Amino acid sequence: MAQNINPYFTQSSTPVKTNEGSQNKSQDNHAVTKRLQKELMVLMMSGEKGVSAFPEGENLFKWVATINGPAGTVYEGHVFRLSVEFPHSYPYSPPLVRFTSKCFHPNVDLQGNICLDILKEKWSALYDISTILISIQSLLGEPNNDSPLNSQAAEMWSNQEVFRKYLRANHSNENSKN
Amino acid sequence: MIASDKLWEKICAVFPILSENNQVPSEGPEVDDFKSVIKGIEVEDHTFIESLVINKIEEDMRENVAPAFWSEFYFLEDDPEKNFIRFKNAVAELNAKYLSYLPTMHRLEEMRLILNYDEPIYGETNLLVILKLIIRTVLHSQLPIPKYQTVIEEFYKLSFKVFYNADKSSRGLPLCDLNESGEDERCGGCYEIEQCRCDAIINDFHTTNRILIQLELLERLAGEVLTSLIHKQIENHVQETCKGSFNQSFISPLEKWLDTVVVGWLTRLYSSGPESPTLKEKLNVFKQKLKHLLYETYTRLRIDQLFTIIIDYPESEAAVDDLRLCLDKTDLRGYLVERLQAALQQRLLHPGVNTPDIITAYVHSIRALRGLDPSGLLLDTVTHPVRQYLRCREDTMRCVVMSLTDEGPDGDLADELARGEAIKEDLAENWETWTPPHIDTVVKSNKEKQSWDIISMLVTVYGSKEMFVHEYRNLLADRLLTQYSYNTEKEIRYLELLKLRFGDSQLHYCEVMLKDIHDSKRINTHLHSEPNFGLSKQEFRCTCMILSAQFWPPFKEETLQLPQKIKDHLDVYTKAFETLKGNRTLNWKPHLGSVSLEIELKNRTLNLTVSPTQAAIIWYFQDKIQWTIDELSSILLIPPTILRRRIAFWQSQGLIKETTTDTFCLTEEPTTGKGLKGIPDVCEDEETESITASAHDQREEELQVFWSYIVGMLTNLDSLPPERIHQMLKMFAAQGPTGVDCSLQQLKHFLDRKVREHKLLFSGGYYKLPK
Repeated sequence: MAQNINPYFTQSSTPVKTNEGSQNKSQDNHAVTKRLQKELMVLMMSGEKGVSAFPEGENLFKWVATINGPAGTVYEGHVFRLSVEFPHSYPYSPPLVRFTSKCFHPNVDLQGNICLDILKEKWSALYDISTILISIQSLLGEPNNDSPLNSQAAEMWSNQEVFRKYLRANHSNENSKN
Repeated sequence: MIASDKLWEKICAVFPILSENNQVPSEGPEVDDFKSVIKGIEVEDHTFIESLVINKIEEDMRENVAPAFWSEFYFLEDDPEKNFIRFKNAVAELNAKYLSYLPTMHRLEEMRLILNYDEPIYGETNLLVILKLIIRTVLHSQLPIPKYQTVIEEFYKLSFKVFYNADKSSRGLPLCDLNESGEDERCGGCYEIEQCRCDAIINDFHTTNRILIQLELLERLAGEVLTSLIHKQIENHVQETCKGSFNQSFISPLEKWLDTVVVGWLTRLYSSGPESPTLKEKLNVFKQKLKHLLYETYTRLRIDQLFTIIIDYPESEAAVDDLRLCLDKTDLRGYLVERLQAALQQRLLHPGVNTPDIITAYVHSIRALRGLDPSGLLLDTVTHPVRQYLRCREDTMRCVVMSLTDEGPDGDLADELARGEAIKEDLAENWETWTPPHIDTVVKSNKEKQSWDIISMLVTVYGSKEMFVHEYRNLLADRLLTQYSYNTEKEIRYLELLKLRFGDSQLHYCEVMLKDIHDSKRINTHLHSEPNFGLSKQEFRCTCMILSAQFWPPFKEETLQLPQKIKDHLDVYTKAFETLKGNRTLNWKPHLGSVSLEIELKNRTLNLTVSPTQAAIIWYFQDKIQWTIDELSSILLIPPTILRRRIAFWQSQGLIKETTTDTFCLTEEPTTGKGLKGIPDVCEDEETESITASAHDQREEELQVFWSYIVGMLTNLDSLPPERIHQMLKMFAAQGPTGVDCSLQQLKHFLDRKVREHKLLFSGGYYKLPK
């Protein structure tokens, strides 16, 4: 009788044994996935205007985010794309966030890397994707000129009109299609 | 010359057929004389004479006998018996001719013997065989197509009928049940009133057959006719005996009938001729064929009636059993599947049939086909379209749930539910009796063996239990809230039964709902019994249902401002509740519930149970006799259109009249004509509407969740094809609060609607957000 058991049913029990070593890790992974799912849901249901993010493809650890330039700043009307990569140790370590579209900003370097304390030393597991995105959005309007990554932008910041013109000349064709 | 003349004369005397007048002399020539004549003829002339004689016979056949024979067939009489006689006569005539040729043939034979000569003619040396051959060929060369068959058919039909009847009467059945027109004196066989001629007919029948067999004409002349006649008779008999009655098995009676009547008849037919060993064998083969034909005819008949059989199922069990046996003997499974599917399609799967009827039919087919094919494959194949169709009916689940919990006369599913968990498939099935699944029905052979549990089959029409549980919850809510009775015993019983099947977790919400009702009852009694709360001092008693909003399905929202006095009553209740329950309060749904009214009019009193809205309307007519719709609408906070519908109830009760447009007036005198005197039941169709939000509304809400995900997706990923959106939703949105499933088709539909609303753009197979 034993050999007549449908292989479909027996299959499920064998892989567990072989994977016993990695089980712990996968359980961790499961927790992260669950958390990311939840963050996504919160973000989707919040109806937050101006920031948005979504997994890029099948991989839940790699997201694409969109930030609208905050109103009343030089970035108003500009739309920025970012990439967000969550480490497997998330939320105990921060995600890696980079601008993928060109962003001329004192705290953003030419490769799109962002200098923001909560993404580095001040990271806390209590933050989530929407707090990150909102922080980045507000960073756009209120740069920290003391530790610039882009010194040209930092210098230009003092003259908002020039800065605005510069942005329009260099970025409008790319970022502010709408 | 003279010698030859003389010789010719002698030859003519020996073979009278050669003479001019073609007359057989009264006395045949002496044998000696014959021998001397033969000897007188030279050897080479023998062949000449022989062929001359045979030619002459052929000519005679061609010119006289065959036309005479066939002429009997040209005209068809109305009376079958006349046709019978004509055929009989024709055959007798032919036989006479044949006999008249015999002496000639004997002489030729003798001549051959004397001269020791055996040149074959037509490949034969036996002259008797040659003669028969000639008769056959000539007859066939003049075959009048196709009329002749009718006469022969009539002949055999009549004889068969006589025989059939004789069989019936021998079994003690009344002779005359074929013609039920009341002419009892008639013999069922020959339609003769005074004298039964059956015996004569059978005699003639035997004679004719004997002749035909002797001439070896039976097969050729009548074979085809016989076969088709028997086929027809079998069909008729099967139709006649089995039509419309499904509650008894017909296989053995039919087989017996075949054995005694048909085979008996055939045996008699063949046994008229000389006995031969091949005959028996032939008959046996024929019998086998006929048996198969009988089965096939019967199976076809049953298959054609299968839909009706299924509908009658428990009563038609015998028919199903028969069919199962027959299916093993015939190769008609494919036909069955095809026919039954067509029947279902035609009779069930169209908009004119109510969903409960479809479900009943489906349940019956599960039961019936279970008897027909225990492997379940047949069922699976045949009912696949039914399931598919049920899936697209919106109220399927509702109907299933209703019939599940309905103890009415057709609460057949309720019994099924009460029966509990389905019997598990017996794993220790005897392997020796295992047979492979039938080829015609194997569609998805890799599919798991289907369980026969009717309820789970119905529930899985949609593929998920959630849907069912969801629908059950709505129904339960409806039932609890429309009855306004605190009696939940019955519902608890069903819930427990359902829990056995679906598990506790799925039905947790329903449990809470029932508990709510139970608690409400307790709280009501408690509040009313405690004098401190002041409820007992109130003008009228008010009880409420306290529902946990989280667990109940959403209600249809309607606005209603209750009259101040009622509100005060309710406030007292709320206060009492707050005192009892600490930090909790009540959030009233004034439009739900029921009000018992006693309306005192000038000359009568009405007792009615109505909805709060209706009660509120009539309340205002207490103080003021005439109201315009706008006034009422502003007091009650009900939109005029809805208000008008509610007022219609009072109009139908004859209490309120619309005097002028939009002005309503109370009439205390019962109006003659349409005054429905205080019928205490509610006769407005509005009332039967469900109080929970419709499934459609709920679905909308669920889709709204998807919409925010879709917006998120498209904001970040620009443009996506629908397949991708669907996939993403399945991956990321399925864990959402509702966890609803959404097919690609539904999604496309939804997206296209958004496109029409200008919330999406669609180009080149990709959706994107408008800029």
